[in-house]
Amino acid sequence: MSWREAIRVSNVAFTELSLQAVFAFRQGNVLPPDRSKNLVARSRRRVVQSKFVISAVLALITLGGAAFIRQKALHPEILSAVPNGLFQSAILTGLLSLDIALLWWTGVQMVPTLISSGVLPALEPLPLDARTFHRVATILYLRLFDLPALTVLVLTPVAVGLALGPLAGLAMVPGAVVAVVFALALSLLTGRFFLRRVQGSRGGGGRTFVRWTYLVLWLVPAFAMFAFITAAPAFFRALSEMAVQGPSPTSALLAAAFPFSFAVLPAIVTGGLQSTQVFSTGTELALVGALAVYVALAVWAVVWLAGSVRSLLFLPAQAAVDFSTSTASLRPTGIAWAVLVKDIRIASRTPGYAFLILLPILDAAALGLLTYATPTSNPVAASLALGAVTTAALLATFFGPAFFAIEVVAYSYGRSLPLSNRSILLGKVALISLMYLVGAALILGLALLRFFEPVTFAGFVLAELPAVVGAAFLELGLLFRWARRRGLAITNLYTGAWFALAVSIPGLVMVGLPPLLFDLTQSMGVALGLAIMGAAAGVGLGVGAATAFGRGAS
Amino acid sequence: MASLPPTNGSVPLSIEKLSVAYGERPAVHELSLAVRPGEIYGLLGSNGAGKTSTIKAIVGLVRPVGGEIRVFGLDALRDGPAVKARIGYVPETSMLYEALTPREFLEFVASVRKMDAETATRRLASYSEAFRLGPEVEEPIATLSNGTRQKVLIIAALLHAPPLLVLDEPLNSLDPRSVRIMKDVLQRYVATGGRGVLFSTHTMEVAEQLCHRVGILDRGLLRGEGTIAALRARVAAGDASLEEIFLKLTEEDVGVQAAVDTLGNASV
Repeated sequence: MSWREAIRVSNVAFTELSLQAVFAFRQGNVLPPDRSKNLVARSRRRVVQSKFVISAVLALITLGGAAFIRQKALHPEILSAVPNGLFQSAILTGLLSLDIALLWWTGVQMVPTLISSGVLPALEPLPLDARTFHRVATILYLRLFDLPALTVLVLTPVAVGLALGPLAGLAMVPGAVVAVVFALALSLLTGRFFLRRVQGSRGGGGRTFVRWTYLVLWLVPAFAMFAFITAAPAFFRALSEMAVQGPSPTSALLAAAFPFSFAVLPAIVTGGLQSTQVFSTGTELALVGALAVYVALAVWAVVWLAGSVRSLLFLPAQAAVDFSTSTASLRPTGIAWAVLVKDIRIASRTPGYAFLILLPILDAAALGLLTYATPTSNPVAASLALGAVTTAALLATFFGPAFFAIEVVAYSYGRSLPLSNRSILLGKVALISLMYLVGAALILGLALLRFFEPVTFAGFVLAELPAVVGAAFLELGLLFRWARRRGLAITNLYTGAWFALAVSIPGLVMVGLPPLLFDLTQSMGVALGLAIMGAAAGVGLGVGAATAFGRGAS
Repeated sequence: MASLPPTNGSVPLSIEKLSVAYGERPAVHELSLAVRPGEIYGLLGSNGAGKTSTIKAIVGLVRPVGGEIRVFGLDALRDGPAVKARIGYVPETSMLYEALTPREFLEFVASVRKMDAETATRRLASYSEAFRLGPEVEEPIATLSNGTRQKVLIIAALLHAPPLLVLDEPLNSLDPRSVRIMKDVLQRYVATGGRGVLFSTHTMEVAEQLCHRVGILDRGLLRGEGTIAALRARVAAGDASLEEIFLKLTEEDVGVQAAVDTLGNASV
């Protein structure tokens, strides 16, 4: 059969994937009161909308990066210690890293959905020859990334071309292509590893530890997004020092590092090798060698993707049957605690959820390390604690709405249990509060090593806690109402990214307001400022609880 | 056919004029039935007859557009959590928390059911032994076979010894040994304590062996209800099997012959 036939079949399969991704019927979500034709149209529309959202973020980052480069070209006094070529390369390195991270993140969200939707196994009994089936699988996989990947492939060279000229735009093409190829390959690779070693992992303490360790390692690239922004000033400082030093083994290493090797190409074609001030013969050799290796790796990744995509998009093998009797014991707990434990257990085998728990905590740890490592001659404990709790609270609250999604796993079965929305909400809120406390403890724990002010630190953490709890109630309460009204399963990015983002705005305002009030009133004394902060947080808790449990709540 | 149990005591399940619809498409229309204490009630019907919609309405997964459902006198729509606490439910398809192991899943269910550890562990051991659920209790559900998933669902439904079992095609995917055990479990289950079982199936043989009474659903309407003997009398078929009774009541007996003839001609 032809590619045309494969495209036709994949269109049908992608419609089914969209329907399952949005409404999660295979996870047991019930049919919403809507015509089936409308449901299909709605799911298609939502998938397109979500792809547009991801693509818009990518476009924003790309245009922002290009604007930085243009500004530096027009105003050389900006970061004057960093040579223009090196500055351009650094910005484009960040841009390519963020492109990979966002595409990979999309893959992490959608590859498990593609596998669990079962669209490929459903096609297997059809009289499709192996080649057509393989093509359908490839097309389906590529369609998960189509618009975002096209944004990277087209907009990155165009934006660089607009900022630095057409030749520089052309020089950006290899970097964009390799970034997309690596992101797609990483998505499939982590998808496979996830199915075998994470989702398929048995229960038990040791294995749980291995799973979480893997999930932390697996998160590092996604964490790079935040780490890059956080570490940007230190990075540019290091670059300026490197430029002063001139060519060195470190600059050779930098030239060989991905994606710098590709990001430096526009600077080389526009300003020559000297524009970076760090190139020597050794650096050039390192660059050429690294480029050859990365291109070869990308070609291999394309071949690997083409050959593996079909076999990897099936569900994992079933466990062998063993007739020996189980001696497992059950330890029931309180309902809200059981919801919390269930969520953590599901997250330990589901990277998408683990991401939500680990990212804020890792970011908090990074900030703590930064605070510890940054020497401050005259530290103010209150300012430090305020910044720490605000960061921890914002991070925990921003990701909060996504925890609703876990509840849609086994949606119908869960709803058949005597499990009230109140218990579910309390479980989720406990998880978000725990994330806040762990995050704040990590930042302040590390900061305590340098500035020993435990009472002040604890005061800030406790004053902000009601606002975090209130924001979690508010966000989840609004989501419950919205999902119930629409009959939607908020299972993943495709379903309702816009609403999950929208409800996080009032949540973020709620956690941001108490620290702001402290900042405005601290001149009257830290104790009074803290009291005002705590009172504002308490009001937030009241508003959140009223939204979650008040009139009209399910 | 088991003997009909007494009907004294609180009624495990009574449904009055239940209607379920998906948008403009009706699934169940003014259905009335009751499961008496000590009774296994079989809900029979073709695909799309409304069996699963009825069951989903009972366990609170679908909101009816009309009618009333009472479980031991409690209104299922108004007293949702209290009703759900009295029901053990096996869904038609094994949709579970795939990322949990059966032990983790059953621990969650036991917590929600407010069970104590000793009782929950003891019952898990008994049912695991009966259904031969061994080390799989520590494997993620995503990796288990359909039959093993079904066993996990059945254990989850029985774990808290509910007074009403609502089972949607519970024998699907089970091996013959487990089917036999399940039948025995159900018969013993309703023998004491005024419990009831609502059991949906389209396997006539199972219904004939297991159910005290059956209700025959067809396109959302209850076409007939009663003991097999009563239904035989109604269709005036002396020694008819349940399958023949079913086809007569749903008026599909003529259609079946026509379909067979058509297939015969098509395959020539």
